[in-house]
Amino acid sequence: MSREDTTVSASPRAGAATGSIQAADEDVAGDPSTEILRVEDLTVRFPTDDGTVNAVRGVSYVLHPREVLGIVGESGSGKSVSSMAVMGLLPRTARVEGKVLFRGADVLRMRREEQRSLRGRKIGMIFQDPMTAMNPVLTVGYQLAEAVRSHEHISQAAALKRAQEMLDLVGIPQAKDRLRAYPHEFSGGMRQRAMIAMAVINHPDVIFADEPTTALDVTVQAQILDTLLEVKDAVDAAIVFITHDLGVIAGIADRVLVMYAGKPVETAGVDEIFSAPRMPYTAGLLGSMPRLDLIGEKLRPIQGTPPSLINLPTGCPFRPRCPLAVEQCATVEPSLAETDRRDHHAACHRWADLAGYEDATEVFRSGPGIEGGRSS
Amino acid sequence: MSTATNNPETGGPRVLPDRLLEVDDLVMNFPVRGGGLLRRTVGQVQAVSGVSFGVAAGETLGIVGESGCGKSTTGRAILQLHTPTSGSVRFQGRELTSMSTRDLRPVRKDLQIVFQDPYASLNPKLPVNDIVSEPLKIHKEWHKREGMERIADLLKLVGLNPEHGNRFPHEFSGGQRQRVGIARALALEPKMLVLDEPVSALDVSVQAGVINLLEDLQQRMNLGYLFIAHDLSIVRHISDRVAVMYLGRIVEIASRDDLYASGRHPYTRALLSAAPVADPVKERQRERISLTGDVPSPLNPPSGCRFRTRCWKAEDICASETPPLVPRGTAPDHLVACHFPEEGPTGF
Repeated sequence: MSREDTTVSASPRAGAATGSIQAADEDVAGDPSTEILRVEDLTVRFPTDDGTVNAVRGVSYVLHPREVLGIVGESGSGKSVSSMAVMGLLPRTARVEGKVLFRGADVLRMRREEQRSLRGRKIGMIFQDPMTAMNPVLTVGYQLAEAVRSHEHISQAAALKRAQEMLDLVGIPQAKDRLRAYPHEFSGGMRQRAMIAMAVINHPDVIFADEPTTALDVTVQAQILDTLLEVKDAVDAAIVFITHDLGVIAGIADRVLVMYAGKPVETAGVDEIFSAPRMPYTAGLLGSMPRLDLIGEKLRPIQGTPPSLINLPTGCPFRPRCPLAVEQCATVEPSLAETDRRDHHAACHRWADLAGYEDATEVFRSGPGIEGGRSS
Repeated sequence: MSTATNNPETGGPRVLPDRLLEVDDLVMNFPVRGGGLLRRTVGQVQAVSGVSFGVAAGETLGIVGESGCGKSTTGRAILQLHTPTSGSVRFQGRELTSMSTRDLRPVRKDLQIVFQDPYASLNPKLPVNDIVSEPLKIHKEWHKREGMERIADLLKLVGLNPEHGNRFPHEFSGGQRQRVGIARALALEPKMLVLDEPVSALDVSVQAGVINLLEDLQQRMNLGYLFIAHDLSIVRHISDRVAVMYLGRIVEIASRDDLYASGRHPYTRALLSAAPVADPVKERQRERISLTGDVPSPLNPPSGCRFRTRCWKAEDICASETPPLVPRGTAPDHLVACHFPEEGPTGF
């Protein structure tokens, strides 16, 4: 591979993506006092009649103040389940292992009440569908005030005042009157704004946003993303942003974690992920997106489908769909390791071969196993 | 061919022989009934209000717009799944709106639809072979001897293994189900497909495969596509021409390159600027037009230009006069419905 090519292509790095969230195993130099959240080797298993579903198989990351960590993956990649596990929102049947350190305290070892006092106060949550996340028979104002009063002993009037300030902050006009409205009287975008208000009303340190704009139209999505970033700065929070949409990630994240079959397969600053992917799956995702410079050409999709989480293939779970797979990939599952680039980790035996391509999506051009890769 | 002729404001209906589908001033209102005993009509949801366009054989017309803009209703009204309130839909030169259900049946052979949700649009109790053969049976084209061979060919055509024909929909992934839906739509060898958000329920990596398949099929069978979607980058990838809808009206229609490079309607600009681009460097650089407010209710749309309530260029004339959809670009088929169209490149 040519190191020349790869270093040149990395030049457009702007200040936003300085990436101080690092893979946990590499974060030796990180100052633990500024860490908000450290997730270490998180695994989640669900016993079912058909066998054990290995939904999350070892997720680690560190989150620093005011940072946006984007977690990308397709359905079933474990991106939502891993975040639900961090928040302690999984059903009791789930077997969760590993460590979730919130400011040094292990959330998974806490009692339920302790966890509950963390959720909604220190950890805010925004879900995909604002209609099902709100109670339809209570006013928006009541629900916002309730979010305050379940953690603080203040009067209803004071809580409502705070609710009004928050609705103002997220850009809902006539906030005072809107407090008396019910969720169904809000449009989809306004409901999601109200959800953001509820998530940040107690000034959390971390906001988990799980596909918060997937149900919205593009113009509304753009508004909500802007609002989320503004609010984040206003309350000094970090965000874990979960989505399947690489376009949204490109606009919002500082650092990206790509998940496949329950595991992080690549993590790097946002520019790195898009300009120099070091894991074929990431390259495949990028190749599946229509691109301006490739108009009139065929898209380069990944062949096949993600594996079953009950019967994972041996070795690398991406191997059956990977055009670069070699024998080693069938026997040894690669772990997240350093690549040629700074602060860029990939779980792939063949990242160096992928780095040899000027445009990594090229490897998916003619389907698996046809060009490149197999020779070495 | 010129699209200028289907403008309801300037020209009357005219049949263009090279057009497979010709839609003229299509209106689709849904009555809203009161809660009383008489269930009187108390209002009209103006879902589609005077939409005109054409689709030629082998061509893809993309329709983009946000939810509630009437794009899906337009697709359904073309197939007469909704009976249009007024306007005309001509397919291969024949008027569909005045046809009886019986007369429509042979037309539907040539005009098929693929739905958005591959989970809801396939009968869960039927094996895939039966799902795909159903159109043939309905249209009395099922021959016992060659039938199964034909089904196997269709499944192969859409990239499925014919040996899996005895399986049920739940045994397939989302992308595979959508392929079954496409195989079913192709069973009668139609001339045109209405594709209503065919890939929006699918994961990105699977989406790309279905898009490639649709392109291959179009080339092979010279199909006309009406591609309805909200994803601007996918529409750009697959379409020859693109129409942008807002609140029941087409605000701009042009060739793909004209629309994306130099779209002139303010709404088109806002839509393009809001669409996420999978390139972090570009995302940081580009300027975003942030629309304020929400889409007004189609029960009581604004007078004049329907976009005026959210438009930064609106003046008095926008409220009093509906801007006609007329040529406003460099190309004669670039139509814009705006009193004050934008200039210069879109930067998308």
